[in-house]
Amino acid sequence: MTTRRTFISASAVGGISLLLAKEVSTKERLNEELYKIIQKVQEHLFPEGTLLPSAHLFGATVFLEETVYHSSYDKDIRAFVLDGAKELKNMHKELFLKYDEKQMESALRKFEKTKMGDNWLSRVMILSIEALLSDPIYGGNFQELGWKALETTGGFPRPTSRYVAL
Amino acid sequence: MTHKYDAIIIGSGASGGAVAYQLCKAGYKVALLEKGRLITREEFSKDELAYCRRDIVTPNLFDEYHTIEEKIDGEWIETPTFESGWSFWNGNIVGGSSNLMSGMLHRMHPDDFRLKTVYGEIKGANIEDWAISYDDLEPYYTLAEELVGISGKAQAHPYKAPRSTKDFQQAPTQENAITALFDKSCKALGITPLITPRAVLSKDRGERLACYYSNFCGSYGCSSGAKGSSREAFIIPALATGNLTLLTNSHVTKLNSTQKEVTDVKVINTLTLASQKLSAKIFVLASQAHESSRLLLNSANIFHPQGLSNSSGEVGKNLIFSAGGAGQGTFYQKNMKEKDFKALMQRGLFVNRSLLDWYIKETWIGGKEKGGLVEFMFEHQNNISRAVSNRYNNNKLLWGKELAQAMHKSFTQSKKMRFEIFNDWLPTDDCFISLDTKRKDKYGMSVGKLRINAHPHDITVASDIATECENILKEMGAEDIYSSISASPPQNLIAGGCRFGNNPKTAVLNKNCQSFDTPNLFVADASFMPTGGSTPYTWTIYANALRVGDAIINVLQKGL
Repeated sequence: MTTRRTFISASAVGGISLLLAKEVSTKERLNEELYKIIQKVQEHLFPEGTLLPSAHLFGATVFLEETVYHSSYDKDIRAFVLDGAKELKNMHKELFLKYDEKQMESALRKFEKTKMGDNWLSRVMILSIEALLSDPIYGGNFQELGWKALETTGGFPRPTSRYVAL
Repeated sequence: MTHKYDAIIIGSGASGGAVAYQLCKAGYKVALLEKGRLITREEFSKDELAYCRRDIVTPNLFDEYHTIEEKIDGEWIETPTFESGWSFWNGNIVGGSSNLMSGMLHRMHPDDFRLKTVYGEIKGANIEDWAISYDDLEPYYTLAEELVGISGKAQAHPYKAPRSTKDFQQAPTQENAITALFDKSCKALGITPLITPRAVLSKDRGERLACYYSNFCGSYGCSSGAKGSSREAFIIPALATGNLTLLTNSHVTKLNSTQKEVTDVKVINTLTLASQKLSAKIFVLASQAHESSRLLLNSANIFHPQGLSNSSGEVGKNLIFSAGGAGQGTFYQKNMKEKDFKALMQRGLFVNRSLLDWYIKETWIGGKEKGGLVEFMFEHQNNISRAVSNRYNNNKLLWGKELAQAMHKSFTQSKKMRFEIFNDWLPTDDCFISLDTKRKDKYGMSVGKLRINAHPHDITVASDIATECENILKEMGAEDIYSSISASPPQNLIAGGCRFGNNPKTAVLNKNCQSFDTPNLFVADASFMPTGGSTPYTWTIYANALRVGDAIINVLQKGL
């Protein structure tokens, strides 16, 4: 029905998901290196100069970090998001953060060919789209640029707090 | 013995609210127990991330979950829902999932009450006639129509259930201009388009204001009070009587009983985890079908070792779903006149069309077979989910310029229309809920294990109807038309598990939905349904709960 099962089995191949799950339960932020890796990926998925605002502009990575650490977010998927970033680091070492656009394209398309890579890129894409189009109260969709780019808007009334914290 | 409450109702959704309303109006003291919290009309928002993409109004699946058993390659495979993410919780807030419905409601047809007699048995299906007839329920369909505020228009159709009143009190809600093309195309194909009755007010009524066409109806709470949720239609008026005590964050984990009667319920406060016992003369279970059965089974004691009200061994059996299949087509700007496309893109207005032409199928040998109902609507307008659906092209993830173009084109140059088919989900031996005694939730209760399998007949019926619906979309000029018919159940429309009937050996409840074993216990939700008709269950749940309310009043007046 849904693909959470596949995420878990795919990440278990790496053998680090359990470790990471423990790690994230005591931390509330991504470590700087993983943050930068995810940021670089998101900026490649949503670059400048398209019909949509760039990941940098709509606040993709800040949103992703706050979202995956919120209590409403599935802890297995949170671990998987970290897992994938760690996997990219293992594959490319410190070179990853220095790649130009062409090298990034090649690295991510190669990653996409693995089961884990495909699932992970899809998950990061979903989190990025959530940042692009959720209510700006969640820290993404800067100045409603996501809605404006797609000639849409959210419904009314708009939320006045995150996650219906009444 | 004197009781603080005449009745305790467990669950505040469609059925619990309707029973509370009836009892409170008649002057009885009622405690309505809701596991979740209260979200008021003023507090609801159209927050897609919270309401549609996270478990905000349902339990965290790592705390509370179900085990789902599906047949894969001939073997039953168990998967707990915290692993699959396939939640079987629905709107655990005051008013239940009726807050979140789209409100496209239909009465069952008189034949649906006598499926076995009229249409005969089907091999492998446990079909039984209802213990009541359409005529018994009709006054309550009418009452529900008035109280819920169902809008619509009485239209003649050979397969439409008869009405005792001339027309709906509320005119239909406003429609998108595409309905003119829909009607024209149906007529060209010899199909009769019908206006969908909708649990949404088209004009103000008292404290409830008319629909404001927010563009985000289903899956969201209503901010004008137009949607006829249990909370708006029943709980608020019941509170106004002064007879209702609404207890939120109150989760019932066990019914205690003697041989002959339920004595009290164990209630856990979900915030503090403190527990207390509450007692009353009458207990009403209204927790949604699968959870009501689960609570009865979890309430086994020395008098009732198989579970409460389960001397027949039938509790949890013959679970059914309101399902069939779905399909869609896309209208593209490039194929339409500018003004027609502009009208199509107008936000918020409904399609409001349903088809009954295949509800009953006359066969060439002069007999008839049961078919199903079709509902037409726009694709849900949620921004994130629509955008996410653009992320793949031929199994390749799109990103960068390609993704931006695909998303922009999809949002600004097209609109999708969908159809949903509802046909009978035949009850079988392979669709039931039992206890998963290996797994406990955070309250220490055995979780519910749902074995789910559909009868092959269901798929055949839905496939035939899907072909007809695809033809309508083709006639309308839609492209990219497809449908998918599957045996996958919708987790929000569940019935069965505590069948009503006249024989205590084969049924759990009598015709008034009263337990044979412990007569001060009633089950008011959809659990009683031996078959579900070819419609979503909601109107029938409302109507039957109002009927059960009257039966309880009768017991309170005359004694058991």
